[in-house]
Order: sequence, then C-alpha cells, then structure tokens
Amino acid sequence: MTARILIIEDETLVAMELRFVLEDLGHEVLGVAATAKAARDLVRENDVDLALVDIHLSDGPTGINLGRELGQEMGVSVLFMTANPGMVRDGVAGTIGVLSKPTDEQAVQTAVDYALRRRQGQPVDYAPPGLQLFG
Amino acid sequence: MHVPGRDRPDEDACLTHPKVECPRWDEADRLRALKQYGVLDTTPEASFDDLANLAARICETTMAAVSLVDAERQWFKAEIGLGARETPRPLSFCAHAMLADDAMIVKDALLDPRFADNALVTGAPHIRFYAGHPLKTPDGVSLGALCVLDEKPRPEGLTELQAMALKTLAEQVMTQLELRRALLERDRSQHIARLAMEASAYVGAWDWDITQNLVVADERFARMYGVDAAAAQNGAPIEVFTASVHPDDVARVHDEIERAKSGEGIFVSEYRLTSNGVVRWVLARGQVYFDRAGEAVRLPGIAVDITERKQIETDLAETARALSESETRFRVLADAMPQMVWSTLPDGFHDYYNARWYEFTGVPAGSTDGEGWNDMFHADDQQRAWGIWRHSLETGEPYEIEYRLKHHSGVYRWTLGRAVAVRDEQGEITRWFGTLTDIDELKKLEQGRELVSQELSHRIKNIFAVITALVALSARQYPEAKAFSASLRTRIAALARAHEFVRPHTETSKTTIGATTLHSFLSDLFKAYADETGTPRVRIDGDDAVFDDQAATSVALLFHELATNAAKYGALSEKGGLVDLSTARDEDRFVLTWTESGGPTVQGEPSRTGFGSSLATLSVQGQLGGRLEREWRAEGLKVIVDLPATALSRRRAANAVGN
Repeated sequence: MTARILIIEDETLVAMELRFVLEDLGHEVLGVAATAKAARDLVRENDVDLALVDIHLSDGPTGINLGRELGQEMGVSVLFMTANPGMVRDGVAGTIGVLSKPTDEQAVQTAVDYALRRRQGQPVDYAPPGLQLFG
Repeated sequence: MHVPGRDRPDEDACLTHPKVECPRWDEADRLRALKQYGVLDTTPEASFDDLANLAARICETTMAAVSLVDAERQWFKAEIGLGARETPRPLSFCAHAMLADDAMIVKDALLDPRFADNALVTGAPHIRFYAGHPLKTPDGVSLGALCVLDEKPRPEGLTELQAMALKTLAEQVMTQLELRRALLERDRSQHIARLAMEASAYVGAWDWDITQNLVVADERFARMYGVDAAAAQNGAPIEVFTASVHPDDVARVHDEIERAKSGEGIFVSEYRLTSNGVVRWVLARGQVYFDRAGEAVRLPGIAVDITERKQIETDLAETARALSESETRFRVLADAMPQMVWSTLPDGFHDYYNARWYEFTGVPAGSTDGEGWNDMFHADDQQRAWGIWRHSLETGEPYEIEYRLKHHSGVYRWTLGRAVAVRDEQGEITRWFGTLTDIDELKKLEQGRELVSQELSHRIKNIFAVITALVALSARQYPEAKAFSASLRTRIAALARAHEFVRPHTETSKTTIGATTLHSFLSDLFKAYADETGTPRVRIDGDDAVFDDQAATSVALLFHELATNAAKYGALSEKGGLVDLSTARDEDRFVLTWTESGGPTVQGEPSRTGFGSSLATLSVQGQLGGRLEREWRAEGLKVIVDLPATALSRRRAANAVGN
C-alpha cells in the first residue's frame, strides 16, 4: 500500500531522514514544508493522503492549528510527530494521534500503516506501540 | 538578699547597681499603692494575657510575665511559659527591674553575679535572658515589671523596636491597672453616695411657687446657691438661685426646667454651681404640680452634691483616654511594619487592619471588618481561602496560603497570608494575628523562569531528534553500520524519554506530562514492547519512587538494555513471553527484580558479554552505586538490581541531610 505523503517539519535533517524512511517503505513524498503557509500551498496543489506534522515550525507553534485544518477541512489524514507530545496531550480534533520523536523506522512504518488503513476504512484491531491515539 | 520586714526595698540592688536611682517612696508606700489596685490573687484576664503574649512574640522569647512584687513574693497577673502563679520574692528578677527608670536587661544570667546562683537560673525554668520594664503608677511608685525571659542567653539584648514595644506594652499594662483602680473607686463611692442619701445627707430642699415665682429653700440649699438664708426662708425669685449656675450649664438647665413644666412633670438635672470661686456639681431632682387647666404651678425638690462622683467619672474618662492612647501607640507600631497586619476575634471576625492594608486595598477604613474581607480575593481563590481559614479556626493550626488580593489599582496581586492564634493560660484562643506579604514580583519571576525552562526543554528534546536523524543519515551510506546505527538510536531515544520525566516541573508543566514517577517512566519506555493488542509485556508492580536527573540516564540505559536484550534473545523474542518487573523499597535499599518467563530455554551464562550488558552493569555499579546480579535460569533470565534507596534522587537526599 503506497501513499502520497507530506512532511511538515522545520528541521532539515529530521525531514530528510524521514523522507528516506518513507521512500524506503515505498511511499511517495510530495514535499517538505517548514511553515504552515508552505504546507497549505502544497496541500492545495497536490492530492495528499497523509501529512506528518511537527508542532513547532519555522513560524512558531503553528502545527496544532494546521493539523486540525488539514484534517477537518482539507480531507488529509494527519499524524503529529513531535519531540514534545505533551503539547497535544488533550488531542486535536480531526487528527489521528501523535508519534514521539526521536523514533525509528519500525515505529514510523507501523504508525503510517495504521493511519492509511483507517483512511481506507479497513479494520484495525490495535494501535501500534509508540503511537498515542486521540479520542 | 531580701530580709523580711525591712523598710526600704532592695537597698542591695541600689548598691550593686549604681545607675539605679533609689526611690523616693518606701516599701510601705509601695505595698499600700499595690493594694489600691485590688489585683493581687485575681483570676487571669485576657487583656493582660494578650499583652504578655504580644511581648513574648515581639521580643521572640519563650516566656513572659506581668509580675507584681508583693511583700514576700512576686505574683503573676499574666504569665506565658513559666508555669507558676508566684515565686518567692528573693528569686525575683522583676524586684530588681522595678527599681530602674527604664528597662533592665540581663543578657546572660549565669554571667551576672546578682542572678548566677538564683534557683530559677540553676533549675527550672532555667532563665538565661531577661528583659523587664518597670510598671509605675502615675505617682512614680513601682509595682513590678512586664518582663520577657528565655532559656537561651542573648548577648545582643533587645532590638530598638523590641525595647520600644516592651515599653509601650508596659505602659499599656499600667493603663489597664489604672482602669481597674478607677472602676473600684467608682463602685466604692457610689456605695457611699447611696448610704449618704439613705441618711438624708442631701444638700438641701426647695419649693418653687411658679405662679408667684417664689422659691422657699432651707438653709443648706441657700448656702450652696450663695443666697442669704433668711431671704431663702421667706422666698425669693428663682433667678436669685439660678444666678449661681455655671455659665456653661445655664441654658441647658433652663431648657430642662421648661420641659418639666410643659408636661414631663419630672425635673432631673446635673449641673455645676459657682460660688466664691469654688465649682461644685449638684444633682437636682424635683416634681412639677399642675392645676386643672394644665398649668405648672409648683416645683418642689431636693439637691445632692455629686462633686466627688463627678471627679471619679472624669478620672475614668481620663484613664479611658490614656488607654486609647496606648492602643494608638500599638497601632503606630503595627503601621510601621512593611506587611499588612490584621487581627480577628477567636470566631474569625475581623476587627483590626493596619494602615498598610488600607493603603494596599484602597478600601475605606472599617469596610472590611467582619466578613467583608472575602470580597477582596480573586473569585477563583475565595473558596480555597475560606476552606483553609475555616480549618485553622476549627483546629487552631497556623494559617498559611497564597492568593490574589485586589490592589487599589484594580489588578489582583499575589499575596502570602499567614496567621497564628494567640492563646490564654487555659490554651483557649483569644485572638488571631495575621500578616499579608505582597509576593507578586516573586510570582512573576517564578512564572518567567518556568517559561524559560519549558522553552529549554523543547529545544533539548528537539536536539535528541536531530542527533538521531543525523546518526541515521550518516549510516545510510554504510549498509554495514545499519545495526550499529539502529541500536545507538534506540539508546538515544531512551535518554530523550528520561529527560521529560526528570526536568524540574511546576504545577503547570506537570499537568502536560502526567505523573513523573519511576513506574510511569518505565511503562512509557516499555510501550514499544507491547503485544499486538496493546497489552504490556513488561508488567510492573511494587513500590513506586521518584527519580532525579542524576539517576535518569542510568535508569533509562539500564532498562533499555534489559528490554532490548530480552527482545533479541530472551522472553520478549517469542510470542507469549513476559517480563515481571517488581520494585521494592526495603528500609534503606531499593530493589528492582527483572524476571523473564515464557521465552526460549536459557542455556546458561553466555560466553561473551555484549556492550549492552556492560552498559547496564556500568549504569548500576558505577553511576548508581548499587549491585547488579544476573541469574541464568533455564526458564528465563533473572536480574536483581539492588540500589541504595537514595540513589534515585541523590540531590533530594543530600538536601535532607543538609537540613
């Protein structure tokens, strides 16, 4: 199962490694956005299945609102990836959950698979370890 | 040093203490004066207890007393911490202090030849420090002293403020005694007046024929009013008599007569008479008779000399004024404090605030008496403040709280409130004294520090993510380094998790990460090893503990290595395998037992030790100062980590020892 994925992350090295991991898994990475505005532009121009969203971006802690907007208004599945999961402890409407950084290939793979299965309406019995689900 | 029956008091003290001016009165005068106050052997009274208590509190001593020196003993009208109502006079410090004009300070009784052998110094209550201010009557006769005492010597003596407070409080004790004497005298004089009236010892009688305006009076009445006795016997116009009424009272007496005539019928008036330059007070009392038409026709009556009673009443007013002056001085003292000061009755009714309170809140004086103060708090703090205050009122425990108090500018400022109960001899609370300190600036600094700390923590966690990405990216070029990179990254990840649990947390930051204990940290760390239904495969039970940043890296690495190893070779490498981790606090040890089961059969101790195992051993024996034992049992590995209980939070343990 391959998907079109957008990486929203302002740390170049972290974004680059994540891109490699996703591409190794056979996914298509549409691009990397370091600000909320760049992310919106990319989503408008492309057909995006899944966005991996960091909370602290170049333009501040704009990731939470961005994630909610992408999930609720733009039809994108959203997974947060952040070093500070406490920031979204109470959950964000319209998004799936949060993955704590630093993480590894295994955790990224299972979390992305889980998100895509849910997007396609496939039954998923359990949440992958390391992924904190909302709601 | 005292010989009973001697006439002059404590001549020895005059000799050994050359600064003392020997009194102008003798011991007989002194005992007579003391007797007039009628205070010896009376029951304790809150007004004196409060003063002794306040003296001890302000002078920061464990004991205080209002001591009155009788012929053979000193007797305590109030006493804090002494546990006696009287002691023999030869032991009395106050018998010395009362001879001075100002306070007598004994910084260390053991070093003072006058007191070094005193039984109150060598035995209970072990007095070492003493400060007493004489209690002198308005005539300068010493009755005793207000004193504060302590079991510890105090080379620095009293501060200027404490000395001033002791003097003010001694004056207040004296004012209370004066009030008591004035009341006693009034009672006595009223008794005499009643006896006198019964014996018809009135000044005189008159009968005024209003229609003809003729007053017929007896000789005594006439003399009092400066009227010729013969003329009075024949009758004279009332103006002849009223001419001697004091000019300030004339109009009032005239009105009172008119009121009696115009219907009230009874005439009662107290006024002054001046004759031959002497002023005397009289009480006149008469009855008006009316004719059928309702006209007043006759007013007979009697007059009594009340000059003596009036004098006592004036004295009483004077004493009351002095009392309020003395209280004014206490207020000046309280107003000089940098904090807001308040006081309540035992039931919590607020009846006093110092000037600082009104300055801070800007409310009109008196408007926050009773329960009015509650509106001064931020709405979110009111319920909490009430709860804590009610608890203190019920239990008598000291009151302490931080809340937001409304400043006169309209903003709420953080304030530290504290209060203690003042108790009488029976342990009953007589009053609560409290202070309020503005800590708003402090709070802002604290909040600022919290923001910086959060920001720093975000960045540190981000650095862990960047380092991990860098390691992964670097390893991509060297496929042979893949395994190395993976294990290094998981170790860094374990450290990153530990960081969140041990950074200093405040009330606000704590709520975003939940509990920060060892168990919650380990559950989080082992989440990655849960089975496909999310059920943990490392089961934790036993005593929980907190741990600090010094222990965090070691704990994180130890359990990361144990879990990684179990996932590769041990119980977690097979479906259905489990680990039980029990933690137990046993006096000064903290023991963690890691027991694997349901995995592949263990073939005995491995011939080669991996770096992971070395890391675990190093963490426990090097960093944490404990012991690590591995038991290679066939059913699964068992690891026992035995730590000193203090190893998990060494900083806290160090602080505890320091305290």
